[in-house]
Amino acid sequence: MTATTATSDAPRPGDRIAENPFFVLALSPEATRLEIEREAQKLLGMLELGFPEAQIYATPLGSRPRSAELVRAAVAALRDPYQRLVAELWARHAPPPIAAPAVAEATTPTTDASSLRARLGWGR
Amino acid sequence: MYYLPYFLFAKLHQLAIDARRRTRTGRYLVYSVLAGVVAALLFAVGAAFAVLLVVVGLWWLAIPIVLFMALPPIATLAIRHVAVPLGWYRVAYYLGATFARAGKDAAAFGYVCAAWALTRRRRDRAGDAEAWLARHRDARLPLGDAEVVTTGLIAAARGDLIAARQLMASTPMIVEAHPAVRELCGEWLAVDAATRGAWAELARSAETAAFPATPLTWFLEGIAARKARVEGAPGDAELLGRWLLAPHRLTTRALLDEVRTGIVPPTPAAVPIDAPTIAEAELPPDRPPLPRAITALLAVSGDVLPTRIAFAHAVAMWDAALGDGATRAWLALRATELDAPLGAADRALREVTTMVVDDLAALADAAALGAPKAAGPVGDALARRLRHGRLDSLEAGFTRWAQRRADGAVRLAIDEWREFVALYSAYGAAVAVGGTELRRLAFQHAWTCGNKMAAWLWNARNEYALSHAISRWLYDEALAVGDTEAIDLGYRNCQLEIPTRLGRITTPIAQR
Repeated sequence: MTATTATSDAPRPGDRIAENPFFVLALSPEATRLEIEREAQKLLGMLELGFPEAQIYATPLGSRPRSAELVRAAVAALRDPYQRLVAELWARHAPPPIAAPAVAEATTPTTDASSLRARLGWGR
Repeated sequence: MYYLPYFLFAKLHQLAIDARRRTRTGRYLVYSVLAGVVAALLFAVGAAFAVLLVVVGLWWLAIPIVLFMALPPIATLAIRHVAVPLGWYRVAYYLGATFARAGKDAAAFGYVCAAWALTRRRRDRAGDAEAWLARHRDARLPLGDAEVVTTGLIAAARGDLIAARQLMASTPMIVEAHPAVRELCGEWLAVDAATRGAWAELARSAETAAFPATPLTWFLEGIAARKARVEGAPGDAELLGRWLLAPHRLTTRALLDEVRTGIVPPTPAAVPIDAPTIAEAELPPDRPPLPRAITALLAVSGDVLPTRIAFAHAVAMWDAALGDGATRAWLALRATELDAPLGAADRALREVTTMVVDDLAALADAAALGAPKAAGPVGDALARRLRHGRLDSLEAGFTRWAQRRADGAVRLAIDEWREFVALYSAYGAAVAVGGTELRRLAFQHAWTCGNKMAAWLWNARNEYALSHAISRWLYDEALAVGDTEAIDLGYRNCQLEIPTRLGRITTPIAQR
């Protein structure tokens, strides 16, 4: 079946903003190159030592987990003027980051529906 | 001679059931009560006769009397309240196929009853039942409604409710109609809608009366009509009558009370489908277009699928933002400050446009939305992407389907049906959002492939009902898009007599 549907493997709309280098590094779009390098080194060190506060970062879509790979990718992107321009365009104009959980904890389907189905004679 | 009154009453019982299947008015109650009274009478006579034979010492003669006089009037009750809850699929099959007087091709009803029992059977003991059902279903050729419903119930037993729903809903396209099978199919769909709170959907389905109603279906349809505030919805007294008639009264009592007290909690379907879900108040109009566009994109990118209005709003915001002089000026200035390569500002604008169109197209597909009417870099690109993407995927699906005819890859009839239903659903979803233009474009390829498959299934596979369902759908589509050649051929194909287990069937065709 080839109906055009979004698959769960495809990047979700909004991931681009959540993975914006400025949010990953928790820096403002005005940050200088030196500030970016310094912050990246600090975060990598904290991640290496397992500091809990370094393991998540705030985005406009809520908190996301931060990894060393994400930090390295962010700093590499911001070293390139063109990629920094695009990242700045998003980060500068996006709503402010929030620390609340990004994705509400997956709600387990309530048993009400399956229970009603069973009580009406059509399920376990 | 002495059995004659019994058989007359048995005939009366069947006539009352048949009459009930044709109506959804107050007469349903009358026929149901009549059928119930006659069934009780038949059971009492059969049971009394059997007891009498045991008392006089002819116990061996009492056995056939119980089986052929006492059991048939209560066979459907025994299936529903004993065999199915206990998951006894073979018992359910024999009760349905042998004793329930399900009419011609009673085995069809038997297999559906067995599949119903499978849905109640413990998961760890369901494997043998599923294999038994699949073996018997596949041996029944050609494909009919019972095979489709049985497969739907097997899917439901596995927990695949989406596949089950799709298969059950496809049954009306099959021309072979076993009334008892259709009743159970309609009841499953009604219960499914009730468990999802899809009362408006159930109320619409009741209006089309695509399935004869069981007492439980009739009751749930009454609740749905009241909840969806349908004109002519049953009053309290009629609803009480429906409730008394339906099984599982302890469970359905809460629904009855809810509707009778008039406190109807809002259901998902009661919410206007186009109600914007984003907090537009959070977007002050004096903010520049780009922040507003990003906020609008984030608002439609959440876990809840966007509404048509919210989606159109996001597209319009992006068209405004990317066409805004201030955005371009900022990009040009910043590119210079960052010492970016020549042309970086224009390249960045194109890249952002592509990113946004990618995101919006993914959202449109997930939410089955069409491209909103918008003239701008994002709106135009999105419309092109959606039209071509949907057409391409439809064409690829139909081509793969028809290719099997040339490859000689023969599949089970039920798998052919499932593939057709999946393509039919994808086509319906695409034309629903793509409009008449996409429908005309998509039809040509669907017609070419579908017509070849219908001819192959009829001529080479003897799958008459399956072939007819495809031809009928193509004919209806040909009428909708006004394709004269397809109408002519489709009209001739649909007029063919269809051999089924219930006899040769011709279907009325709409006048051109």
